[in-house]
This record gives sequence, structure tokens and C-alpha cells, in this order.
Amino acid sequence: MMGALRTVVQISRVELLRFLRERSNVFFVFVLPLALVVFIGLQFGGGMGTQLGAVAADDDAAASELVDRLDTAEGIEVVPIDDEDELRSLVSRGNLSGGVLIPDGYEDALRSGATFEIGFLGRPDATAQSLRTVVDAVVADQAAITGAASLAADATDQSVADLIDLAAQVREGMPGVTVSTEAVGGDELAQEFSALGQFDLGASSQLFLFVFLTSLASSAALIQTRQFGVATRMLSTPTRLPVILAGLAGGRFVVALFQALYIIVVTALGFGVDWGDPLATSVLVLLFCLVSTGAAMVLGSVFRNDSQASGAGVGLGLVLAVLGGSMIPLELFPAGMLVVARFTPHAWANTAMAEIVRRDGGIADVVMELTVLAGFAVVLLGVATFLLRRALTR
Amino acid sequence: MSDLLTCVGLERSFGDLKAVQGVSFSVAVGETYGLLGPNGAGKTTCISMIAGLLDPDAGEVTVAGQAMGPRASAAKNDVGLVPQELAIYPDLSARENLDFFARLYGLDTARRKRRVDEVLEVIGLTDRAGDRAGTYSGGMKRRLNIGIGMLHEPKLLILDEPTVGVDPQSRNAILESVETLATDGMGVLYTTHYMEEAERLCDRIGIIDQGTLVAEGTRRELVGMIGEQDVVRLKTVGDVQAAEAACAVVEGVSSTDVEEDTVVCLVDEAAPRLPALLAAVGATDADVSGVEVREPDIEDVFLHLTGKALRD
Ligand SMILES: Nc1ncnc2c1ncn2[C@@H]1O[C@H](COP(=O)(O)OP(=O)(O)OP(=O)(O)O)[C@@H](O)[C@H]1O
Ligand SMILES: [Mg+2]
Repeated sequence: MMGALRTVVQISRVELLRFLRERSNVFFVFVLPLALVVFIGLQFGGGMGTQLGAVAADDDAAASELVDRLDTAEGIEVVPIDDEDELRSLVSRGNLSGGVLIPDGYEDALRSGATFEIGFLGRPDATAQSLRTVVDAVVADQAAITGAASLAADATDQSVADLIDLAAQVREGMPGVTVSTEAVGGDELAQEFSALGQFDLGASSQLFLFVFLTSLASSAALIQTRQFGVATRMLSTPTRLPVILAGLAGGRFVVALFQALYIIVVTALGFGVDWGDPLATSVLVLLFCLVSTGAAMVLGSVFRNDSQASGAGVGLGLVLAVLGGSMIPLELFPAGMLVVARFTPHAWANTAMAEIVRRDGGIADVVMELTVLAGFAVVLLGVATFLLRRALTR
Repeated sequence: MSDLLTCVGLERSFGDLKAVQGVSFSVAVGETYGLLGPNGAGKTTCISMIAGLLDPDAGEVTVAGQAMGPRASAAKNDVGLVPQELAIYPDLSARENLDFFARLYGLDTARRKRRVDEVLEVIGLTDRAGDRAGTYSGGMKRRLNIGIGMLHEPKLLILDEPTVGVDPQSRNAILESVETLATDGMGVLYTTHYMEEAERLCDRIGIIDQGTLVAEGTRRELVGMIGEQDVVRLKTVGDVQAAEAACAVVEGVSSTDVEEDTVVCLVDEAAPRLPALLAAVGATDADVSGVEVREPDIEDVFLHLTGKALRD
């Protein structure tokens, strides 16, 4: 029994070793995931790259103040723009992440307490959504202080400017009151993501994408093991077929786990990514690695040619990642696509991860997702065992 | 009981194709036995059954008194298989390949280390032990392929055409190491379609064709099967097929074949038949440009038994 276990480990070890010796794999495993985490972090997480265009009248003090406030908001750089048309075109072309339009008369409106509309321009993407929340919050904040000061000025005959300072001071000393605007398409969403650190979203969505992709890529090594005749040769040794199958599966599993740990550890240490409850995340990741292993084993048994398998693996890995919300968050999916997403392990894993990371969920909160993933793993590993056994003993 | 390996009535089909039909033979302890046959004769299929990779449709294999089969771990422990196709990891070094298989054969640490070093020495790869096998020459890969099969010092070493595609020098080295192993008392089952190899290495030879063992014995016994016959080789210019057809009907000729531009005839006695053979060829469009008469060898035995040449 111990001997069999040791042999399983040996077969797995050699498969891992061979996987890591392939240069292109090293790039995919070590470099690409981190590059994408950083890229998405900068794009999506509202990092230094997020530019907000602003069109405002120069002689309007309140408008200038709003622009300053937006500029000091973390991760946003405000770019002054001359007119609405230019702003519109810059935003639509993606040169700016979003834009605010502050019509003339903003200061007067604030003081008089009249209703006033500030325009927000954004593409239908999540970056714009999260920018919008920030704008809403800053506007509401300014409006509250100025509005309160104006009212007080009317009542007390003091100058509005003095009162604004006073109000701001008063507010400093008060418990943080969050100002939220009425949800108009996507605001809840922005709220959800605004709780995340800059790189959190990139890291958790890339995790499953890459674990699955890397695992599928390792199916090429399995096919080589068959092609090279080594798998058959193993069968001529006293080592039994189940031990060999377990070893080959173990090889895939170790590759998947290795990829997962690498992304988790490096992003946690290097980018301060929060991975939530350790137990829940561990179970989730382990199950997802098993699912990936099963998929890789099926691929490695079905194909006869390693480059075909790599191609199919990358294709399948990317398609499932897109459908399962690893590229675009599931929250942005239309209802029909959500139904499709349910057939991918990625969607279940991403949903569970969102619960764990964004809402501080524990293992009890993601039982259903974990069960479904376990089901995926059992079915895929079962099918793979059947196919591989047949391929090796034919 | 001195039989190391016994095969009784082995049969195996792939779909409608009967690859092996009723093969029985045995190999004694320390004996080197050759399975000689052309491409597709069923040698590899036999060997796969003997090594426990394939379940026979009928028949039995016994190795050192133990029944062999896909689940027979104990019997497999007594057999070392060197497959016809290279079965090594090209992305691992020779040492890593050997170490890996030594573990699969269940060698303990001390023995594993010793055997890996010994085998590297035997196959002459000690100097290149750390390089990836993919960077080796064809002959070196073949030697590594063989080395893996002898790691656990099996009682029976099975080599399936180990010299195919190997340069003459490596080939000789391989044959020498097989001879050494046999001298040390290891039983060897050796398949080939090279008659010279079978004659040089094997105590006994089984001739296999179309899935059946058509003859078996020592070289002497096999050649004796075609009695006192002679081989006449007529080198021709012109239509060699027509020349063969003409020779085939000459009295005293038991079989004919064509090897490139030469007609090979098996005749009861060379001297009295030569004039008739030359006349027969002369009557066709072809001319005889050279004549050779010699004693028959195993290739001629094969020709006699099957009516065709061992090699295409
Ligand atoms: N897995 C298989 N599936 C289908 N047919 C097979 C299979 N293995 C062997 N055969 C067929 O069985 C016959 C015997 O093949 P085998 O490989 O045993 O011949 P061989 O004597 O080893 O030939 P060679 O000298 O070319 O290696 C051939 O006709 C071959 O095509
Ligand atoms: Mg063969």
C-alpha cells in the first residue's frame, strides 16, 4: 500500500518535472497570469491609469471644487476637456475611462438647493461603473456640505464661504456617513466591486482561468507519455494499472495545484490581494484543481496528438473562462448567458470566490458551489479513467 | 522443471485479422530463443502477450512457473521488456529514465542506485547520463531503451527487434551485450527479421509467419529441414520476373524467389541442374550475368517453408 502510494507520487513527480521543463509552459505558468493580474488591476481596479475627463465652466467655483475633489479621489486622474463633443469622443474611443459634464450654473444651483443634473459618460463596462460610483459619492458629499452651508447662511446671515468651512469641519468630526445615490443601472454593481482592492478582482478571476488552462495544457504531456510508449512500458512493470492511472492523474493535479498556489501566494504577497477565508478558499481551489485534472485527463485520453490537444486545450480553456465569468464578471452577464455559464465549472468557482472574497463568506456560504464542483470532478475523473484504461490496454 | 517460459496455443485477433494463431514454444532457463519472421508476422503481438500487456484470446503464458497476464505483478517481476518502439522520456536524462523505471520495478534505494550506475556502464551511456535523451543519437536511444529492460535483473529478457534502424557499430555493441547477458545466465527471447542476428545469438530459432510458428529448432536442425538442397543464385540482366518464372518450372527446383536483379532457386543438387537453369533463362528476354552456388541458410529455409523471402 505504501509502496503503491510512493509509486503514484513518483509518476506524478516525473509528469510535473517534464511539464516544467517545457519552456513555453514556464511562460504560461509564471509570467502570463501575473501580467494579466496587473493589467486587469490597472484597468479595472481604478489604478493610476484611470483617467476621468471633466468639462466645467472656469468661472464656476463649485465646479472647480468638484473637479479638485474628484482629482484627489484615490486612483483617479482628472483631465480637463473643452467641450462635450470632445469628451464624448475621447470616452467612446477609450482614451478616457469616463467623463463628467458639469453644466453652467452649478454653484448657483448648489446654493439655492435647486435640482441639478451632472452628466456622466462611460462605456458600458465595469470600469465606468465603478468610476460612476466615485463621482456620485463625491458629488453627493459636496452637495451635502454646500447645501447645508447655504441653508445655514440664510438662517444665520453669516457668509456662505465661512459656513462651508465650518460644515466641513463639523463633518470631519462626525462618524463617516456614506452617501449613496439612487441606483440607475449598474450602481449596485459598482458598489460591489468598489469593496475590492485594486488587484483582487484580476487575481481571483485569473486564478480559475489559469488553473484550468494550465491543467489542460498539461494534457499534452500525458499524450506524449502515451505516444512515447512509456505508458505502455509502465504496464510491463509489476506496477498495477490503477496505480499508473492515479500517478498520471496526480501529475495533472500537481500541475494545477502548483499553478493555483503560485498565483495565490505571489498576488497575496506581492500585490496584497485578499483571498478571504483560508479554509473556504483552500477547499474551493482543491476542488477546482480536481475538476481541471479530470478535464485534462479526458483531453489526454481522447486525443492522439499532443499539439492537437494543446490547441483544443487552450481553446476550450478560454471559451469556458469567457462563458464562466473569468474574463467579464458574471454580474455583467445577461440572463441568457447566465444559464449557459452554469454549465462551466468556472462560473461556480467564480461565484463561490465572489462570496468568499467580496462578502467575507465562509465554507458554509458556498456549500452548493463546492458540491457542484465536486460533481464535475467525479464525473470528469470517472470518464477519464474509463477512456485512459481503454487507450492503454487496447 | 527447466522451462523459464512456456507459451501454449497463443491466439490473438484484431477485428477480423488473426495476428497470432496457435503459437506454442518454450524457452529454457539461460537459453536464448529467437523469433524470426517478416514484418507483420505477429512477433510483437506474441511478445505483448508474453509480457502481460495484452490478454490472449486463447492460450496461456507461464513465466518461471507463474501464469502471466495483465494483472500478474509477480510474473512481470521476472520479465524485462524492451519494446520494438523506443519507450523512453526524451525530456528526461538517461539517469532519470532509468531511475524512474527502477522505481516502477520496485527496487529499493540502495539497489536502485547501484543498478542505475551498472546499467549506464553496460549500455555505455555513463558519460552522457545527465543529458536529455532527446539529444542522443538513434543508437544511444536504442541502448537506453534496452537498459531499462534489464534494470531489475529479470530472469527473462525480451527484446523486440532491438537493432532496427541502428548503425552497424551500435548494432554490434547491442548484440555483444545480449551475448554477455546470456552468458551470465539470463534467458533471452529475441525477435528479429535479420537472419544473421538470429544465427549469431540464438540457441534455438522459431520461424513465424502469418501468426503461426512454421518451424523451430537449432540452426543446424532448421537447415537440415531442406535436406541436401543447394541454393543457386542467378544474377540477371533484363526481365528478372520472366527469368524467375522460367526457372520455377525446371526439374529439381523446389522454390524460387527474386532479390533485386537476382533469381534465387532452391534445387535438389546444383551441378546437374545448372545447364537447364541457364538454358531456361536464355530462352527469355533476360540474360544471366553471374552465377553463385552455396549451401542453404535460414533465409533459404524460410523461402522453402513459406515460398517468400524473409525481407521484402
Ligand atoms: N493494435 C493492433 N490493432 C490492429 N491490428 C494490429 C494491432 N497490432 C498488430 N496488429 C496487426 O497484427 C499483425 C501482426 O502484427 P505484429 O506487430 O505482431 O507483427 P510483427 O511480427 O511484430 O511485425 P514487425 O516486424 O513489422 O514488427 C499485423 O498485421 C498488424 O497490422
Ligand atoms: Mg514487431
